[in-house]
Amino acid sequence: MTPFTTDRRNFLAGVGAVGAGALLSGCVTQTSSNSPTSQSSSGPVTLQSNLSSPQAKTALETLIAAYNKKGGSRAQLNTVASETFRTQLPTYLTSANPPDAYTWYPGSVAEAYAKQGLLLDLSDLWQGPDLSRYSAAMRDLCTSPSTGKKDFVPTDYYWWGFFYRKSNFAKWGVQEPTTWNEFLALCQTLKTKNVAPIGIGAGSGTAWVASAWFDYLNIRVNGATYHRELLAGKHSFNDPQVHKVFDYWGQALPFFDPNGTALAFQDATTSLLEGRTAMMLIGTFFADAAPKDALGDLDFFRFPVIDPKVPMAEEAPADGFFASSRTAHAAGVKDLLAYFATAEAQELYIKNSSGTVLPTHPDAKDNGTPLVVKGRKLIASAAQVTQFFNRDSSDALQPTADTALVHFLSKPKEVNSILTTWQRDAQQIWSK
Amino acid sequence: MAVLTMPRRRPGATRVPPLVLAFVLVPLLVEAAWVFWPALQGFYLAFTSWDGLAAPRSVGFGNFTTMVHDPVFRTALGNTVLWLLLFGGLSAALGLGAALLLQQERRGIGFYRAALFLPVVFSLVATALVWQGMYQPDGLINQVLRAVGLGGWQHAWLADQSTAFYAVIVPALWREIGYVMVLYLAGLKGIDPQLYEAARVDGASRWQQFRHVTLPQLSSVNAVVLSVIVIDSLRSFDVVWALTRGGPYHSSELLSTYMYSTAFQSLRLGYGSALAVVIFVLAFGVIATYLVRAFKEAS
Repeated sequence: MTPFTTDRRNFLAGVGAVGAGALLSGCVTQTSSNSPTSQSSSGPVTLQSNLSSPQAKTALETLIAAYNKKGGSRAQLNTVASETFRTQLPTYLTSANPPDAYTWYPGSVAEAYAKQGLLLDLSDLWQGPDLSRYSAAMRDLCTSPSTGKKDFVPTDYYWWGFFYRKSNFAKWGVQEPTTWNEFLALCQTLKTKNVAPIGIGAGSGTAWVASAWFDYLNIRVNGATYHRELLAGKHSFNDPQVHKVFDYWGQALPFFDPNGTALAFQDATTSLLEGRTAMMLIGTFFADAAPKDALGDLDFFRFPVIDPKVPMAEEAPADGFFASSRTAHAAGVKDLLAYFATAEAQELYIKNSSGTVLPTHPDAKDNGTPLVVKGRKLIASAAQVTQFFNRDSSDALQPTADTALVHFLSKPKEVNSILTTWQRDAQQIWSK
Repeated sequence: MAVLTMPRRRPGATRVPPLVLAFVLVPLLVEAAWVFWPALQGFYLAFTSWDGLAAPRSVGFGNFTTMVHDPVFRTALGNTVLWLLLFGGLSAALGLGAALLLQQERRGIGFYRAALFLPVVFSLVATALVWQGMYQPDGLINQVLRAVGLGGWQHAWLADQSTAFYAVIVPALWREIGYVMVLYLAGLKGIDPQLYEAARVDGASRWQQFRHVTLPQLSSVNAVVLSVIVIDSLRSFDVVWALTRGGPYHSSELLSTYMYSTAFQSLRLGYGSALAVVIFVLAFGVIATYLVRAFKEAS
């Protein structure tokens, strides 16, 4: 497929629409206008998507095509580069004439918009034949704590873990560890095999993957409840509990790939696949960048137990859709989102995407590879599920973590000043 | 203004045709809607606290007092000044050097000029991506160092706090030098060869010719080069953002990247606008002082 599917007429219409939108909204800071007056309630539902990687984009396009073939209301997909999407989302949602539905994440990132009354109430959808059968954890995740309404439709999720190549582990004669001490012993053994035990790709614009280490250590040492409270600003990054997290991290630090903060996670994936690093704590999305023949050789183990008294929570970020409360197509939007919630739609999406995501519908089949089956079992057995640093806090807090954690990776001795600075930076976000 | 000094004609003839008026007014309107109005809003937002969702809340000079105590702001300001001096100074010096070297008409000189000018044609983001590849731990630069036996000098150039800033300056310079060179080449072409002849007859050395003929004759070009350099340094953003995003831990942070990350990543749009105001005042201040001086000298 060519990357540019827009013809000239569409482009000009788009330019016109952008221009008219800018003139109509007039003032960027004006957020008071509520009635969607300029938009007729006929016409297709617009779906604004940030799934711009080729596989995911094609998968969603196929899904929309299937929906439109069904007859009834129609939808139009508008894919935007993910970074643009992220920075523009507040503008979309507060504009007088917003797109109808959006790809996004449930939990506290959606809550920021729910609190402002910007999200369409989907509570009635959740009583429908599909969503009513979703897990209680998913239902809670999609319920706004401030309004009590359900405003999100999750469609798939993925998991994080230590990924490695089975053939390499066999070659080095090592086993998956289950406890922290076993993990450190494994690293020690791997080091003697002339391989960097722990890969990480926290450089070149993907510093956020380092947050997985912080999340998991904090969940294992202090528990998921403390973790969520910390990210919500109820504790300080200067707490002794957080220092303890970094004490544990410090034990593993000598085994990290020294190039870890210079590589993007895609390049770190290459290092892992080529056997220059032995394992990497990463989400399944990294497999998008892996060649197909390597996929069958991949396996993972869950983040080792540190304190057996702490319930085992896992990171399993869910993806899905929400809609603008200012939409003129409420019925059409709900019809589209109800379709996304069906097992049929989720299976179709998974078939066309990289296939390492799991469906949220209890009846929907995943792609059935041993890796995915193992992943689904991991999350099903988890005592609690966390989303990820930014999704459990806010996108605004993520850069403070990136700075602090990359700093720690290269200057672990400065941990005291790093945590003080982190708390100061975070305070500015929380008090915003 | 030129219109006022023109000889007076019949009163009817000075009426501006509607088409011309449209040519002036339409761009003015567009400029007003997309440049002046947002700029004014930026000034307004600088005195508010705003997350992009709720209505902005006025905080008076709060953002500016925060700035005074903000260590990242101080780092970014220091880096911006250093950037201005290094990037500005080196691109002017090296651009002039390249122009002097390549001013003689010889066979094949066009190739060298084109080669030096070529980076200017590339998008700076594309340039940055190429350099990012070279700076990788297994990239070209480290491979060459290893090959010539300087393996000990190998670095994670962009990930090391002590080298990131300079590693980012190099691609920016690589591009700017070609641009400045072209400006100086044009200036050098405009110098009357008789001046050099006269200087030679008077027994002036090469250095004296450069010092007393070339440099004074280039003063008008210098004005252009200076404003170009100042503006380009203060708006340097793309190359830094593409290579390091101001990191690692703010070591290559400039005011422009700090403004962007504060406004659009941390969504502290009020504080981000306040930073933008500071950048504006700095750029405007430097250029206005220079222009005032230049106009004084001219008149």
